[in-house]
Amino acid sequence: MSVARSADPRAATPVEIRKRPGGARLAITWADGHVGEYAAVYLRGRCPCAHCVDEITGERRVGPLQIVPDVTLLKIVPVGNYAIQLEWSDGHRTGLYSFESLRSLCPCPECASDKP
Amino acid sequence: MAVSERDVLDALRPIQDPDLKRDIVSLGFVRGVRVEGAVVRLEIRLTTPACPVKDKIRDDAKRAIERLPGVERAEIEMTSEVRGSAAPDKSAIAGVKNLVAIGSGKGGVGKSTVTVNLALALAGSGAKVGLLDADIYGPSLPIMMGLTQEGVGARGDVLIPPVAHGVRFLSMGFMAPGDQPLIWRGPMAHKALQQTLFGAEWGELDYLLIDLPPGTGDVHLTLVQSVALTGGVIVSTPQDVGLTISRKTLRMFQQTRVHLLGLVENMSYYVCPHCGQHDDIFGHGGAEKTAEALAVPFLGAVPLDRHVREHADRGTPIVIAEPEHPASVAYREIAGRLAQQVSIRSFEAPQVSIVEE
Repeated sequence: MSVARSADPRAATPVEIRKRPGGARLAITWADGHVGEYAAVYLRGRCPCAHCVDEITGERRVGPLQIVPDVTLLKIVPVGNYAIQLEWSDGHRTGLYSFESLRSLCPCPECASDKP
Repeated sequence: MAVSERDVLDALRPIQDPDLKRDIVSLGFVRGVRVEGAVVRLEIRLTTPACPVKDKIRDDAKRAIERLPGVERAEIEMTSEVRGSAAPDKSAIAGVKNLVAIGSGKGGVGKSTVTVNLALALAGSGAKVGLLDADIYGPSLPIMMGLTQEGVGARGDVLIPPVAHGVRFLSMGFMAPGDQPLIWRGPMAHKALQQTLFGAEWGELDYLLIDLPPGTGDVHLTLVQSVALTGGVIVSTPQDVGLTISRKTLRMFQQTRVHLLGLVENMSYYVCPHCGQHDDIFGHGGAEKTAEALAVPFLGAVPLDRHVREHADRGTPIVIAEPEHPASVAYREIAGRLAQQVSIRSFEAPQVSIVEE
């Protein structure tokens, strides 16, 4: 589980999670006002589950190159207070995306610029 | 001239709920104001029957209204309606308003004894309470509740929790046949937890307390992934708070976004049965300091007293058996503070909405 980079807990607290029509994108509005849009293929290629990431070495086994480019998001299932489980059109559904990791994955130019 | 309903509400506006830090009028606590000549009648509906400041709010309100010109007497009915803070998702258990997990860093701190007495103290205040024993390693709660597997009813596949001392109760241990020891791997613990949470008819509950196994493990992970908990409570002794184990439990709660409702210090001090002298066997006050350092509410301290254990062993925990015992008084205070923290949480908890376009 990744740790929030920002000290503001609202940065990793979603207010609204929205599946765009057809499941091509996921939009999250965060408690600090930030809005991020994620392409389905981008998130699917970053699935944190034990099938997609080797549990011992941490090496990614299934990444963006192994994903069908037209993958879509079928369903968002809340997990407790801290994550969502995403179900994809390729049948994959074991990934739990924590709010922290989703915030740090935000692909918008503003967030991307302060990534290493 | 008689006062208007508006005059009454204006008079009540300066009265604040000390926890929610808002006035009782804008919180919607004041209901059914009726002016009948020189008598004003109204209802103040608080967020928990265990509210420790109930009497103060009533007295303040009475005084404020009776100060109005033309009013001789205010008659105030104090009621309560516990707010739910569970998230609107599949992980909510129908009818259960608040789920509170009780954990500890290590075993032997008296977590189950604390949990059962808190459940009974909350029920004693008038709240509807359930208790789930998820401590698969040492299921002592059935003994303390005086209930066995045989008491569990069933309607088809749905379990009906038996009731003792006004509290509905299930133990994950009931899922194992007879007197078999629970040698469970993760998936079995997962299944038993799912069954006791979702496969049981808990009915309408204000609070469902869940007694977790010590430490951090499969049951914890399953629980935080299956349901949106209102929050967690950590029980520790003055001795183990200094160690890192309680902090590990704390970190697990934090990482899985379980709001920490507070710390309870058990076996806080020893009262000598012969001379009545206080003795801080484990060094009293550790949990309070830790709570302060972590900016987490300190819910209270329970003394180490042989009566606490004796009554629990007989299936009538001390809160029921000796309501005036210092430990019982401590438990009721802790239950009140816990209910306050749950109320605060129900007003503050972030609610995420999931939208499918």
